[in-house]
Amino acid sequence: GKTCAPPHCVKVPRNFRLLEELEEGQKGVGDGTVSWGLEDDEDIMLTRWTGMIIGPPRTIYENRMYSLKVECGPRYPESPPFVRFVTKINLNGVHNSNGVVDTRAVAALAKWQNSYSIRVVLQELRRLMMCKENMKLPQPPEGQLFSN
Amino acid sequence: MAENSGTDPTVDSNVVENAASDGTMIVVTVKTPKDKEEIAISEDSSVAQFKEEISKRFNAKQDQLVLIFAGKILKDGDTLNQHGIKDGLTVHLVIKTAPKTTVGGTSQSSASSSGTPQANSSINPSAVPNASTTPGTGPTPASTQPPNLLSGFGDLSSLSGMGMGSANFMEMQQQMQRQLMSNPEMLSQIMDNPLVQNMMSNPDLMRQMIVTNPQMQQLMERNPEISHMLNNPELMRQTMELARNPAMMQEMMRNQDRALSNLESIPGGYNALRRMYTDIQEPMFSAAREQFGNNPFSPSRTENREPLPNPWGPPGTSPSESRGTGASTTTTSSAGGTAPSASNPLGINASGLGNGVFGSPGMQSLMQQISENPQLMQNMLSAPYMRSMMQSLAQNPELASQGSNPTAATNPSQQQQQLMQQMLQMFAGGGGGSLTLTPEVRFQQQLDQLSAMGFINREANLQALIATGGDINAAIERLLGSQPS
Repeated sequence: GKTCAPPHCVKVPRNFRLLEELEEGQKGVGDGTVSWGLEDDEDIMLTRWTGMIIGPPRTIYENRMYSLKVECGPRYPESPPFVRFVTKINLNGVHNSNGVVDTRAVAALAKWQNSYSIRVVLQELRRLMMCKENMKLPQPPEGQLFSN
Repeated sequence: MAENSGTDPTVDSNVVENAASDGTMIVVTVKTPKDKEEIAISEDSSVAQFKEEISKRFNAKQDQLVLIFAGKILKDGDTLNQHGIKDGLTVHLVIKTAPKTTVGGTSQSSASSSGTPQANSSINPSAVPNASTTPGTGPTPASTQPPNLLSGFGDLSSLSGMGMGSANFMEMQQQMQRQLMSNPEMLSQIMDNPLVQNMMSNPDLMRQMIVTNPQMQQLMERNPEISHMLNNPELMRQTMELARNPAMMQEMMRNQDRALSNLESIPGGYNALRRMYTDIQEPMFSAAREQFGNNPFSPSRTENREPLPNPWGPPGTSPSESRGTGASTTTTSSAGGTAPSASNPLGINASGLGNGVFGSPGMQSLMQQISENPQLMQNMLSAPYMRSMMQSLAQNPELASQGSNPTAATNPSQQQQQLMQQMLQMFAGGGGGSLTLTPEVRFQQQLDQLSAMGFINREANLQALIATGGDINAAIERLLGSQPS
């Protein structure tokens, strides 16, 4: 339970919310640097999503596209989604072995709010790529995937 | 089953079992991080066909295109339908510019434009005067160093257009600068490098470099004339010529000095020059100094430190000398007490301006005359040596910002020239109007703030403000640090 006080704490039903995000993903809401959508169109639970992050310019990630899996559990959006990189990446906060994103390492996940969204998470990950500590990390060859 | 809508069965080259596919045209928005286009395509198209259209519209090769929809990469063999791409939806496009390889390959100039300008926006300015002030030092066996730097350029180019904002870049820059500073021979080697020369021969590039330098930007904000000057390709080109050719630069400096000594003989001009110096040159010097650490040219400092002949200066030291050495500080201290008054629109206080140079009432009246009579300035302007001076003037801000501060002899000329230029522009630009922007007026707000804070010595406040170019915080430090002089 949370202390709710409108307008910022209206509890939106999960599916409603996810449908909205689905639509936004299809309409390209945002700056065009991340993309997201249902992994499977038939997924009526709207649980499994794929995300894509376009590596930011002037970093070592430039020109690469990073595919992710995002899972929105039953308590979404009250609870943050699980995020995992599919495309191999060397980034602080992402487990080297399986691409799982450490919730504590990403502010949007660590301090999740129900007004956040998949897009927010993806954009935050992209921002992390631009951080000084990340932007020059040596990367695996393009196209490699995590072995999970 | 689908509606019939004037259809192209030929469009449908792909799977879609649905024979009743109608090939309806849909409009899909294709969005790149920079751009957005709406593309009409048959809804049954394959991704490959879609890419064909896109490649035309975005002017890119098909195999460079990567399409993303709803978090998935669209493969050529897929269909739009398969991914649920319908009318009005947005697809993300990434145009792959074959990283690192092409960027290096695409013409030196672009590589250098992306890689080097940012590095060089601060480096090259310093590179230039160093090359000029250490002309004789031919290529040295310091061959190990330049390659480092230049390979630094190479790496930079691969980061295609890395901007000044990147912290890492700044470090590299600073390192390079330090290296350059400490080793003049390296500089001349760098100057000899065709890459650098190439870049320097590109006015746009140079301009960009200068412009991207944050201090220059600040400077430009405060002094729009500078940006005008930068926008003048002719001037830029000349400057670059100069920069490339140290010998020529020296020559030019000598010319300038000669012209200046002529200028000095114009009463009143000197004063205005000084005024302007504090507006332009000082911030530049401090900006340059910031970048270059302290005196960047200590090795070459020994150049001609003799002050220019000073027609007005009674006691030995000419204001040029005092200006020359301590650029910011000395000037401001000698700029003391410039409280503008009605008769003295440029705010020049005879007594305050050290060494009694500006002490003569004659000067003041002349200044007043000048300010009242723009025509006088025009006349001054048309004097032949003025022409050459103006040209040199224009180049000077660059030179100045390159921190060629130590050369005392050339210093006053530069300062004067800049002041001259600003003055000229001021006057040319419409009579007395601009002249009323005395420091006091300009810093009115700051003065008020200072006095509200308890700094009641208005004159000292004004001096401090002038010295810091209107920066209140710096002025306060000045006032607190040195008892108002």
